[in-house]
Amino acid sequence: MHNFKKILKTLLVLAVCAAILAGLDLALYPCTFMRNDIHSVTTRQYDDIIVGTSHGKMGIDPESMKEITGRTGHNICVGGEYGIDAYYITKLINEKQKPKRIIYEVDPGYFVTEKEEGNNYLLFYHEFPFSRAKLEYFWNSIAKCNFRTVLFPWYEYSLSYELPKIKETFTKKVTGDYSVSDLKSDSQEYHESGFIERYPVDVRKLKKSEPKLYEEGMVNEENMGYLKKLIDYCKANEIEFVAVTTPIPIDTLRDYSDNYNAAWRFFGEFFDKQGVKYLNFNTQYFKAFTHDLRAYTDYDGHLNGQAARDYSKVLAEFLK
Amino acid sequence: MSLVSNLFLLFVAACVIVYYVVPSKLQWLVLLCFSYLYYIAGGVRYLGFMLFSTAVTYLAALGIEKLEEKGKHGSAKRLLIVGLILNFGMLGTIKYTNFAVENLNALFHMNLRGMEILLPLGISFYTFQSSGYLLDVYWKRCSAEKQPLKYALFVSFFPQILQGPIGRYSRLAEQLYAPHRFEGKNIARGFERILWGFFKKMILADWAAVFVDAIFGNPDQYSGLALFGVLFYTIQLYADFSGGMDVVIGIASMFGIEMDENFKRPFFAVSITDFWHRWHITLGTWMKDYVFYPVTLSGWMNRFGKWAKKVFGKKTGRTLPICLANLIVFFVVGVWHGAAWKYIVYGVYNGIIIAFSGLMAGQYRNWKKKLNITGKENWFHIFAIVRTFILVNISWFFDRADTVGQAFHMMKLSVTKFAPSELLLIPAGREGTAFTPYALLILAVGCVILFIVSFLQERGMKIRETLSKRSLPITVAVYMVLLISIGLFGSTAVARGFIYAQF
Repeated sequence: MHNFKKILKTLLVLAVCAAILAGLDLALYPCTFMRNDIHSVTTRQYDDIIVGTSHGKMGIDPESMKEITGRTGHNICVGGEYGIDAYYITKLINEKQKPKRIIYEVDPGYFVTEKEEGNNYLLFYHEFPFSRAKLEYFWNSIAKCNFRTVLFPWYEYSLSYELPKIKETFTKKVTGDYSVSDLKSDSQEYHESGFIERYPVDVRKLKKSEPKLYEEGMVNEENMGYLKKLIDYCKANEIEFVAVTTPIPIDTLRDYSDNYNAAWRFFGEFFDKQGVKYLNFNTQYFKAFTHDLRAYTDYDGHLNGQAARDYSKVLAEFLK
Repeated sequence: MSLVSNLFLLFVAACVIVYYVVPSKLQWLVLLCFSYLYYIAGGVRYLGFMLFSTAVTYLAALGIEKLEEKGKHGSAKRLLIVGLILNFGMLGTIKYTNFAVENLNALFHMNLRGMEILLPLGISFYTFQSSGYLLDVYWKRCSAEKQPLKYALFVSFFPQILQGPIGRYSRLAEQLYAPHRFEGKNIARGFERILWGFFKKMILADWAAVFVDAIFGNPDQYSGLALFGVLFYTIQLYADFSGGMDVVIGIASMFGIEMDENFKRPFFAVSITDFWHRWHITLGTWMKDYVFYPVTLSGWMNRFGKWAKKVFGKKTGRTLPICLANLIVFFVVGVWHGAAWKYIVYGVYNGIIIAFSGLMAGQYRNWKKKLNITGKENWFHIFAIVRTFILVNISWFFDRADTVGQAFHMMKLSVTKFAPSELLLIPAGREGTAFTPYALLILAVGCVILFIVSFLQERGMKIRETLSKRSLPITVAVYMVLLISIGLFGSTAVARGFIYAQF
């Protein structure tokens, strides 16, 4: 009897602790657009899934593509999405639906840098519904992160920003509200298709910045390993895999021509070896879309909304 | 596998469960398996070094015991020397070859190539622990362990392998091999200690590290902050190392194993000698038992003592050998810390202060007498603490700076330039300088909490015991607040490993 009471007390304490942590998570972890993205791709059926980085997020509009191809699609790219994330997102999607095609937006800089632990994994992991992919993703990413990623996933978010939004965040999560109206700012707007529309900027005021650059001999084996795994996974599950590199402003291409040329050579050979279609809009499809800075919002190569829609139609023509 | 990672905590949880589920006579085997798993997870390539150290000291200890039983003391001594040479030889080769090559190249304008050697995890800790065991067997302080696997556990026990504490066979081994019944209070006590360690590490050490790295990384950019640099380093190093020890000791106590304490409120020390009785205690006692006493009692030191007495008189002659032994001990402490001159200077600096204090002890007594200071006055106690704190902080310049030259440069800046407002220019966490004032405030409050806890402990209060006497909701609330504060106020900068794990 005494032991039973002890066990009950312990369980009660643990339950209270878990409830407090879950409550804090509900209130403090923000409703990111990734929450909408993951919800969309796990609850609806799409033909095309676009994975990749911020260039893909702001450069590929599934709605514009649909006008040409007639295929449905969702853009689940985001800045900081590495091969490991794309791989497990694809596995998750394949668990929940059966996409016909994965379009992988390739930013060469992501293959020579190491993914930072913590928030960068949480952005995806936190939104994954319970699934085999989530468990595998945990084991290969979150497990090596510090324990705050599990107990306090909100720890890296600015409390000064999140505290005033507690009520809204809490309500949205509890009521299952996935509206996108508040996912916009002065410079960009998130759409239900996952596409982020960047508003045009005065390009004369743009300052040059150094993008994440590819460097020969510096390729991160883990990142390439996940890209290879993703290709193999798609092949094994009869999902078409296409690699795409979005156009980059001509000034940037000229400034870092050595890095970009080495990257195009490396990825050209890699995808060729894998038997994968690779649409690079900075080499063989250079002329298919403008490289004039006016179509972009920065020197890094993030397209503005209208240019992105136009580019998506061009891309769709090649994918038809 | 970092001590703060999810994987490590899962690993510990799994080990605790398995430990208490298996029959009690197999518990030590569970610890051994998990210890080796942990070590292999850090890199299978490191395993050979630990196996070598384990095998050498295990076999040598057995041999020594047998030879002693047969009365062959000379052979036992020779075997001890071989064992120590092999064990320390491995450490020396791996850790100090490149340092030696660099210095030879610089001294004799040679062009010797360094070796690409990997530094095995925890090598400094397990080499010292196993060598201590070997010497204990030789000095008959303990019997040689007959069971190789049991001995392997003593060398590899996973919570302590990376950053100590350096365990003694006589105190640790029996606990490792003894069966332990599951007791909720052990788990609770372990959890409390781990939580306190994480609080220190993630709130104090990691935030302090942001400022330390910025200041020491750019001494000329933040030239007015050199003094803050070293003060922040004091916070970082203490919170990091003692926090790590709290985690290690907390985990061990979950298995019913009580490990040696490594810290005893070092910043309440009244002298450098006192400081080393409170800071990295297990290294200090190791040095005392295995370097200081053997050196002091050696024949050549005896001869040196006699010579010194003749030349300098009775008093000084008696003190000089002790001073020399202290210098040797702290030289070894410096070398243990790393293969760089800055560490040697760090060690010798401590040795010189202790040696000088020893030589001047008589003078101090006379001065105090003339000034009517008994030593029991509160103001004198505080003066002694502040004096020691300053002396310790000077030594940190050598420990943290990249080179001895940089350490002197920073020291000079700390007394010639002072611009606290530059602190606000250091970006803290992901929000850059906007968060800097908050980070400083968090650090300040964290330091106040740490000070209050240390002060109460110094006054003899047993905080955890006091807390455990309170009702359950109060205890849980206190620990919940501590836990959540790690989430709310922990550093948002890039997560860091423990400093001493690299030794």
